[in-house]
Amino acid sequence: MRIELTVNGVAREADDVWEGESLLYALRERLGLPGSKNACEQGECGSCTVYLDGAPVCACLVAAGQAQGREVTTVEGLAGDGLDPVQQAFVEKGAVQCGFCTPGFLMSTKDLLDRDPAPSDPEIREALAGNLCRCTGYEKILDAVRTAAANR
Amino acid sequence: MDLNTVTGYRRARTRADLALGPGERILGGGTWLYSEPQLDTTGLVDLTTMGWAPLTRTDEGLSIAATCTIAELLAHPDRPPLAVECANALLASSTIWTVATVGGNVCRAFAAAGMVALCAALDGVALVWAPSGGGRHDYRIPVAELATGNGTTSLAPGEVLRALEIPARVLAARTAFRKIALAELGRSGAVLTGRVDPGGEAVFVITAATASPTVLRYPALPGAAALRADVDAAVGYYTDPLGSADWRRQVSGVLLEEIRQELA
Repeated sequence: MRIELTVNGVAREADDVWEGESLLYALRERLGLPGSKNACEQGECGSCTVYLDGAPVCACLVAAGQAQGREVTTVEGLAGDGLDPVQQAFVEKGAVQCGFCTPGFLMSTKDLLDRDPAPSDPEIREALAGNLCRCTGYEKILDAVRTAAANR
Repeated sequence: MDLNTVTGYRRARTRADLALGPGERILGGGTWLYSEPQLDTTGLVDLTTMGWAPLTRTDEGLSIAATCTIAELLAHPDRPPLAVECANALLASSTIWTVATVGGNVCRAFAAAGMVALCAALDGVALVWAPSGGGRHDYRIPVAELATGNGTTSLAPGEVLRALEIPARVLAARTAFRKIALAELGRSGAVLTGRVDPGGEAVFVITAATASPTVLRYPALPGAAALRADVDAAVGYYTDPLGSADWRRQVSGVLLEEIRQELA
């Protein structure tokens, strides 16, 4: 089937989407956007986090067909002319080890700071509770979120 | 994950679209359906395209569409009491709350289903659409009875949960909530709620500790001994890796007594 959606502000079409396909697969394999990562495939790790109509979702748990006519933002859509301040903060603080979880953390962090520009540490932890880092690099990630908040 | 056995996808626009063919299943938010293989499913019928209003307040109470997401429920100014507590008992991240539906959680009906706990705590009633008859065979059933076991419901094949109705009389009730798990952030071993209606009736509900909701009703707030006796006599406490039946019975008694005192 064909789905038509807006991805990172651009109208896109994906053809030959099969009916059981997840939004994650459609983004990565049909629309050429591999930034969202395919890890747990069951909504636990958050590495596939994208925005669907502005709200963060696990793309692995969304049927591709349910994205018809909707707006999707992936990690590729974060940067404008330069890195988004959240991305810049992750670079500055070295909040990346293997990097597989990073796209999800970036998306969740940006969503948090858009809602709450000055979150407390418990609020940061709560907001990132759906994102797992198997390298366990959480301290650097928390540093990056605090830095991103301070730099906004 | 991708559902490799699925070869059909239909967007439901009308009630007639909800008639399921062989191998078809209703798709709500998809957060459970897409979290594990569904080998017996060959088609999906998207319920979210029905366009139902998430929450509707009427003189009779609150109607929560089956497709209302947990995020929509929590953000709504008319959200019922205990909604936040029961949603938190789900232990899901906000990315799940964004798309997971109240109706989906009720229909999945795990013992620890937070939306079952919410509806059972508030005398919620399920409006069920029958698969045929043009609405003549639709019916209502208390959610506490619809959830028949850990992961089972009374829904017959083809029946569709349309809405969850919370009666107006309980929206002004005083409520209290407790949850316990083996780990601080673990999956619920027991979820306990208490409610005292404006007329004085007291209702205590055990979920997660028993395979299906246990509802204890009293014309007025009971004494500690009476409540404890009823908790001990309740059936359906079960053992799994998240807690033993004896532990679940014991903590239910302790925490419901806390609730009783809080509501006194």
